[in-house]
Amino acid sequence: MPRTPRKAPARKEAAPAPRRLGAPKRVGGGAKTFTSKPVAIDFAAPDHRMTRADLEIDGIFHGEASYEGRIFLNNPNADHNTPRTRGSGYAGSFYLFGHGGCLGDPGHCEVNEDGREKYDFRAPHPLTLASKRVTVTDAVRELAKANKEVTVTVVPVITAANELCDTENVFRCQDMRFVSYN
Amino acid sequence: MADIRMRLGVHNLDATQVGDFRNSYRGMMAISDNRGYQVLAGRHGVPDWFCWHHQQNSRVAQNMRLFLPWHRAYLYNWEMAMRDRVPGVTLPWWDWTLGPPRQNGLPSIFTDRTGADGQPNSLLGFRINLPQANPPVVRATSRAPGTPDGLPTQDDVDNCLARTDWSDFSDALEDIHDQVHGWVSGDMGVIGTAAYDPIFWSHHAMIDRIWWLWQARNGNGNIPADLVGQVLAPFNMQVRDVLNVHDLGYEYGAAQSVVPIGGTS
Repeated sequence: MPRTPRKAPARKEAAPAPRRLGAPKRVGGGAKTFTSKPVAIDFAAPDHRMTRADLEIDGIFHGEASYEGRIFLNNPNADHNTPRTRGSGYAGSFYLFGHGGCLGDPGHCEVNEDGREKYDFRAPHPLTLASKRVTVTDAVRELAKANKEVTVTVVPVITAANELCDTENVFRCQDMRFVSYN
Repeated sequence: MADIRMRLGVHNLDATQVGDFRNSYRGMMAISDNRGYQVLAGRHGVPDWFCWHHQQNSRVAQNMRLFLPWHRAYLYNWEMAMRDRVPGVTLPWWDWTLGPPRQNGLPSIFTDRTGADGQPNSLLGFRINLPQANPPVVRATSRAPGTPDGLPTQDDVDNCLARTDWSDFSDALEDIHDQVHGWVSGDMGVIGTAAYDPIFWSHHAMIDRIWWLWQARNGNGNIPADLVGQVLAPFNMQVRDVLNVHDLGYEYGAAQSVVPIGGTS
């Protein structure tokens, strides 16, 4: 399964580097949320013997802010103030430990794992994109009683960011999917 | 078990153990060469970037989940450096699942301004000195902790321990680990500077302890063979070398009392 993009994820143009780096701070909400198109959840219908369902997210950029990614189902208006209750569609969270921005010279944080030579045995780049898995069994099972499809909304809540971090485009990924087990 | 060193819970340390713990960090902070706090903490993020987080390899089976083995090797080397300063000291683990009255958020031994000896508390923070970084990082570490109800619970740990597949378990424990880093926030909140905060090491001892509890239940049989021979740079170790903590000379206990009785002669 490919996990490394051939080009860097979209991001804001980097601001000029500060003269000295300040301490990371807790920012909270304000970052852009992501909502998927409606996705079929017939795998969780009452006539299926589903024992577990995960939301798998691949290709997550982790070079900048750290954040909690709150998952809401069928609630595209969710934001960082939305209560984390089943009634609001909350299904769980993942937590991402970010690098806190680039502390190197130009090119230091550019990932090119797919462009390596055959005999390049050096360690992979630390910013090779990450994957996360959130178990959403109960939430999906409940929704499947009355819905054939759901949308997936990811609300990033920033736990730590410094002046090198883009605090608007925080959650960046390549792909996500539901994976269920019977 | 006389030769096995016991890593204890922060919440159970007595005054002497807290003093030894603080003195070991104070001693390391006074050294600027590769035995000291600055150099060893710098192996994690800036400037050396040796640490393993997330799944750093798209080319190898199981995506090189070296997060747990790499940090076990790192803590082992760190604890040895502590013992070079204060013989007999061990790295205590911070059980962030504990609530009041035993603990409420950050343990006080990490937040007190001074120790019992009246000296500044070496567990409160560290002055990072990286003028060569781009941009330079030259300042004291800071924290911005959340409310205690934002920390992982024992239920979260139990849910993690219930996972029998190595990759599933490793990812779940790493997610809990990420949560605590974000909860402490400040320098602990980002990979680049996290290891400069003195609480980093006790947080990771807790993570390492949970892995050891999982290993006691599940063994090491389902760790991908590809991983076992991986080198844990910059340490002189491979994954196979860190699978059994007894081979590394330590064990985890909540508390330990030693009452000399003597022998027959």
